[in-house]
Amino acid sequence: MTSDEALMLEFQGGSRAAFEELFARYRKPLYGFFGRRLNNPERAEDLTQETFLAVIRAASRYEPRASVRTYLYGIALKLLAAERRKLLISGALGRSVPEAKTDGTPECVLWVRQALEKLDAPEREILMLREYEQLSYSDIAELLRIPLNTVRSRLFRSRLALKSYLESEAKTNPDLRASAEQPRPGRRGMQ
Amino acid sequence: MAYLDGELPTDQATQTLSHMELCPECQTLAADFRGVSQELMAWEVESSEVGIPSMINAALGERHQKPEAAKVNSPRLENRVLTSRWVWAGALAIVCVAVGLTLTVTSRNRNEDRSTAYASMASIEQYLIQNRNAEIALARSAAPEAISNNAKILVFGWQGYETAIEGKNGFVCMVERSWMSPFNSAEFWNPKVRVPMCFNPAAARSILPLTIKRTEMILAGISKAQMIDSIKAGFDNKELPLPESGAMCYMMSRAGYLNDALGHFVPHLMFYFPLTDKSSWGADLRDSPVTLNPQFRDGPEPITEFVIPVGKWSDGTAAPVM
Repeated sequence: MTSDEALMLEFQGGSRAAFEELFARYRKPLYGFFGRRLNNPERAEDLTQETFLAVIRAASRYEPRASVRTYLYGIALKLLAAERRKLLISGALGRSVPEAKTDGTPECVLWVRQALEKLDAPEREILMLREYEQLSYSDIAELLRIPLNTVRSRLFRSRLALKSYLESEAKTNPDLRASAEQPRPGRRGMQ
Repeated sequence: MAYLDGELPTDQATQTLSHMELCPECQTLAADFRGVSQELMAWEVESSEVGIPSMINAALGERHQKPEAAKVNSPRLENRVLTSRWVWAGALAIVCVAVGLTLTVTSRNRNEDRSTAYASMASIEQYLIQNRNAEIALARSAAPEAISNNAKILVFGWQGYETAIEGKNGFVCMVERSWMSPFNSAEFWNPKVRVPMCFNPAAARSILPLTIKRTEMILAGISKAQMIDSIKAGFDNKELPLPESGAMCYMMSRAGYLNDALGHFVPHLMFYFPLTDKSSWGADLRDSPVTLNPQFRDGPEPITEFVIPVGKWSDGTAAPVM
């Protein structure tokens, strides 16, 4: 399998097929990145496209210093920050999360979302980058511009907090816990 | 926690692994954290879009046409641009020469660093894992417990590999060292390399003897050239077997260290065959998950080895996407 970095260099050299391959590899993960953080499918789709547009525009300046994966999430994080600033200015940021649509969302997903919302924002971001985007500690440190040890300690705290929260919720609502623990057919297809 | 995330260097990972086997509190915490990760995975997000959106298609088209659009029509402007072009070209040439020289020197230094870092064999102590239990745990980590708990375990000692634990299922788990790399590898003598592997019975009979033979020759101080001749002769006189049908091994440890470039790499399975064209498995083709492993390529062993990544480490946790 051709590496992401080789594809990026091929694209830089003019290969459209290389871009299409990168697009196929990263469209869903990037959509997931925005989808989980904004709870707004339309904006998630828009920002996913904007990430790829940024890649196209900056292709000539690309240097393989970091992995393409880190490079893409770096762009995505910047776009996300800009989106949040816009939402903050328009006063919609505080409202968007509670009002996120819940129709048809499995209870176990709502439960996970609520648990994540309980975390402090910086800790939540690190945890999500690790668990969902599967970035390494050093990649997270580089992207968020924080020391590696801070990544470690915050990740530990956030997992501990999440574990406590999930345990306390399980005691008060055992049915919900049971639904979350049911075996799942795959890792795609919800929301 | 860094251990669970596959973020520890090999030596610390093996220490942690052996500590965890004896520490119920750490086992509970690790199980809890794995549980948290598993529950987080319930939140999946699916996009309905398929194909490349028109906006991106347009941007791709624009990028393709840009060089032609940059043509200059005004003669005055063209002259100015041409004049400045020469100035820029001159400046660029100077910069290129300077950068080129720097890059050449840097690159040469880097290559020299890489090729000379492990130019010869280190002392045997550096290839040993002092804690025998840590080596057993590391060897077992190559495969899921359901396999490795009943496998025979070999550990590397001063006299070569020796049996630490007898097995019941025909599998053999061990930790290979750097000399199982290709003979021309820059890391052939890298003492940091620790490669946990669990051979299935067919591979234990037909691939493991290679590891044992190479290791014996290394400890005997035989040169690479002599080793290559000896291996060739071994296959010629049938002292060394060809891979049996179905020979494969598990390499799913998050605590291994394959080399400086790959670190612990990703969990994967390896399949062995007598020399085979890689196209028979569709290896190295676009989107194919199968890769031809260079371990025996161009080497004296008439063996073809395919690698297939898998999605989980041996402890069941999700692995990074390749």
